[in-house]
Amino acid sequence: MSVEIDTSAFTEEAYELLSELEDSLLELEESPGDQELIGRVFRAMHTIKGSGAMFGFDAVAEFTHEVETVFDMARNGTISVTKELINLTLAARDQIRAILDAAGGGSPANEENAQRIIAGLRGLVPGAGGGAAGGAAAAKGKGKKPVVEAGPHSYRIRVKPHADIFANGTNPILLLNELREMGESRIIALTDDLPDIGALDPEQCYLSWEVFLTTEKDENAIQDVFIFVDDECDVNVRLLDREENLSTDAEPKKLGQILVERGDIDQEDLEEALQPLGDRLVDAGVVGKDQIRAALTEQQLVQEKREKKKKAEAATSVRVPSDKLDNLVDLVGELVTVQARLNQTSASVGDHDLQLISEEVERLTAELRDNTMSIRMLAIGTTFNKFKRLVRDLSLELGKKIEMTTEGAETELDKTVIDQLNDPLVHIIRNSIDHGVENPKDRLAAGKPEEGLIHLAAVHSGASVLISVADDGKGLDPQFLKRKAIEKGILPPDVELTDKEAYQLIFGAGFSTAEKITNVSGRGVGMDVVRKSIDALRGQIDVQSELGKGTTITLKLPLTLAIIEGLLVEIAHDFFVLPLAAVEECVELSRDRVANAHGRHVINVRDEIVPYIRIRDRFGIEGESPEIEQIVISEVDDKRVGFVVDRVIGQHQTVIKNLGKNFEHSEEFSGATILGDGTVALILDLQKMVRFVQHEEAEENSGGE
Amino acid sequence: MAGGTRITETTQYLTFMLHKEVFAVDISKIREVLEFTSVTKVPRTPQFMCGVINLRGSVVPVVDMRLKFNLEASEKTVNTCIIIVEITHDDGEVTVMGALADSVQEVMELEPSQIEDPPKIGTRLRSDFLMGVGKHNDRFIMLLDIDRIFSPEELSTIQAAA
Amino acid sequence: MAKIMTVDDSASVRQMVSLTMKGAGYDVVEAVDGKDALAKLKGDKVDMVVTDLNMPNMDGIELIRQLRALADYKFVPIIMLTTESQATRKQEGKDAGATGWIVKPFKPAQLLGVIKKVLG
Repeated sequence: MSVEIDTSAFTEEAYELLSELEDSLLELEESPGDQELIGRVFRAMHTIKGSGAMFGFDAVAEFTHEVETVFDMARNGTISVTKELINLTLAARDQIRAILDAAGGGSPANEENAQRIIAGLRGLVPGAGGGAAGGAAAAKGKGKKPVVEAGPHSYRIRVKPHADIFANGTNPILLLNELREMGESRIIALTDDLPDIGALDPEQCYLSWEVFLTTEKDENAIQDVFIFVDDECDVNVRLLDREENLSTDAEPKKLGQILVERGDIDQEDLEEALQPLGDRLVDAGVVGKDQIRAALTEQQLVQEKREKKKKAEAATSVRVPSDKLDNLVDLVGELVTVQARLNQTSASVGDHDLQLISEEVERLTAELRDNTMSIRMLAIGTTFNKFKRLVRDLSLELGKKIEMTTEGAETELDKTVIDQLNDPLVHIIRNSIDHGVENPKDRLAAGKPEEGLIHLAAVHSGASVLISVADDGKGLDPQFLKRKAIEKGILPPDVELTDKEAYQLIFGAGFSTAEKITNVSGRGVGMDVVRKSIDALRGQIDVQSELGKGTTITLKLPLTLAIIEGLLVEIAHDFFVLPLAAVEECVELSRDRVANAHGRHVINVRDEIVPYIRIRDRFGIEGESPEIEQIVISEVDDKRVGFVVDRVIGQHQTVIKNLGKNFEHSEEFSGATILGDGTVALILDLQKMVRFVQHEEAEENSGGE
Repeated sequence: MAGGTRITETTQYLTFMLHKEVFAVDISKIREVLEFTSVTKVPRTPQFMCGVINLRGSVVPVVDMRLKFNLEASEKTVNTCIIIVEITHDDGEVTVMGALADSVQEVMELEPSQIEDPPKIGTRLRSDFLMGVGKHNDRFIMLLDIDRIFSPEELSTIQAAA
Repeated sequence: MAKIMTVDDSASVRQMVSLTMKGAGYDVVEAVDGKDALAKLKGDKVDMVVTDLNMPNMDGIELIRQLRALADYKFVPIIMLTTESQATRKQEGKDAGATGWIVKPFKPAQLLGVIKKVLG
């Protein structure tokens, strides 16, 4: 039994490494001199070989050894990285995969193929035969200096700026940000020194921080962050995960022990105040609440590290049927709603104890929500990377030169959405390569660079994710599409079509515009599959094209299980939620300020002119607006736009409920949510609203005179 | 052909009042009847779209039946209620919606013989909204084709002229 | 985009600093010495100042001191350009209120690194 678990851990890792390897090789193809990439390829091979042998995958180990040997020479500069080497290594990578597949019950790997690859690789070694080269490389490898194991380490960094740190123009936040960029971090602000608001001097710094950082970098790199503030800031760095801390047999340190070690208290304090420790220590004024919090975080971190270590020793992941996750997400959604109600009720009852409980539940709910969501959210990057190979192989097959670029690989999407996106994207990209991008000769004749471009991008937009595939190919010809549709009897001969409608024809079943059928596309299956899959995800497809310039197909997908942070606002007695992510600030709009703008809907915010939309007017809400209204300033399509409301109520955890078919046309709302008192508030889609207003104003201006 | 499918079986109906007229909906379509609660209006939608309510955690649209049938609007009373119905769309999808009515009357059984095809004129209602007209104690009862009335085409919320 | 002033009496250093920063997308204002800088800064607010220390008319230390006395420049990051041999000058500069320093000669990437560090 145990053997089975272990091998699956290996194969899982190996598949991952293989896909990394593929990415690295493709990158290396573009910049063959990149030592770092060569190193990465070598390391991937090395790990596969090493763990393969350990797990009894001798075939994998033997084969990989041959490839690694040759790549080691590339690493040492004995041979150079050529197209041939890359092709052979890619083939080798596929071969390793085949061996792995075979071990997992797939069809046996082709042994001749393996021999051919090895022979090819050996052929790249100058002068010597394969065996000798292998020996030489091995000898070289042994002569190397042992490298200190680099793996990530956890540090506790205490940052205590002096009160006058601002006087030198230093912004401590930037220092924290720098630390944050070094790895995975948790930052705790110690606010115990903060005086009452009356005694507070805004030009002084009262805060200090404890940063728990897990990073690949060493202590010197951490100290370097503070190079300019040597005299203005006390910095103390301590390595947390020395072996004794992490050894899995030892109990994790107790809170008190940590406090003593950190010098926050001494042993006597600890013994005096053992139960309940935290509260007593705070009451006794020995340590501040924040120090306890920081110590707790430290305890947690060490514990987590140990967990991680344990996990690495055992299984690496758990597979769970996704409907179980769906269930969990639904339940969390309900919980968030109930929590909002608890919050509201406890606030109105005014019972202090109840409020404390409510706050605790709020914290837990938020954590539970984030955790649950993160289980289901995956970056789309992995999917993007798969397409690199597709583009490479397909363009090679069709004799075209195409470069694929990506953007927004870190954009996170629900797992189900990502899974279901794969096929439609494959079809769209195939289509772009086959029909969109011209062959090199035609491109040159059309005055374009020989190499075509396919750009894959993902971006969040309100409650949606936009995924676009853009090519710089020949574009779609609406007249041609229309003719074709009429020929095939899909459309009546006298049909009137806009260009946009004509573009949508490509998604029709049995519709192919290719003049000749290739291996790749042109049989009229494919693009209709795209339409079906995207419909199933409740998404939309938008096609933009310019003849001769290229085509962009954009998929707009809803975030199915979105719970978002919202800003709850009120107009008359209606409540609305604005997505908090877009909100920058709130400013007051008084009647004189309106009068001074001479009827234009703009406001001057710190010397910047910001246009605003009066939601009250836009939605025809009756009644008189208050003397002083609030403008919520948000960033929409990279511009600042204000939204005028009566009152800003505050942050609101918003479970997005679909408004359903009947409100499909109410595009200014991305959904609705249920408030603590059970009433329904609408969630505004700010982007849509701004676009509608712009559009309407443009029409008024052109038609008005 | 107006009127849709002919009614061939004895069916139970829930009757309700709108502007002193009696209407009825096949009871198998009805999920529950709620007292009138606060409805959140969705701006820039037609008048007859009352808005949305919270039905135990789901957001459900509510249609003001008076306004949908071009009857005059009325003040809410203690009898005003929201009839929650299940609508089956052409593609087989089921959605839950609310119908705002003046009051709910009773559940009654009508045999096919008590039901006549909807007349093409004289009902002040579009005949395709009706499955038939029932007769009961000398009263006419408008049997509504609720799937039709609540179909997306009918409720299309393209912005009404402001 | 942030606006940065470079103060240096050497035209070649000024040009190098200026080109580097413009290349990275910053708006750049140039001044030839402390006096020139102060005059220009009174009409035009910048987000950061990069100044040499040894300059005619008004040197960098004095410029830093005077800037820190102005309400608008009390908390603005100021970076001084020093040479290895100027350890005491560096301390003087810090005492006057400089945020950080760059040791000459430096590479464009180092300059941008420091700007990012203090300006975000």
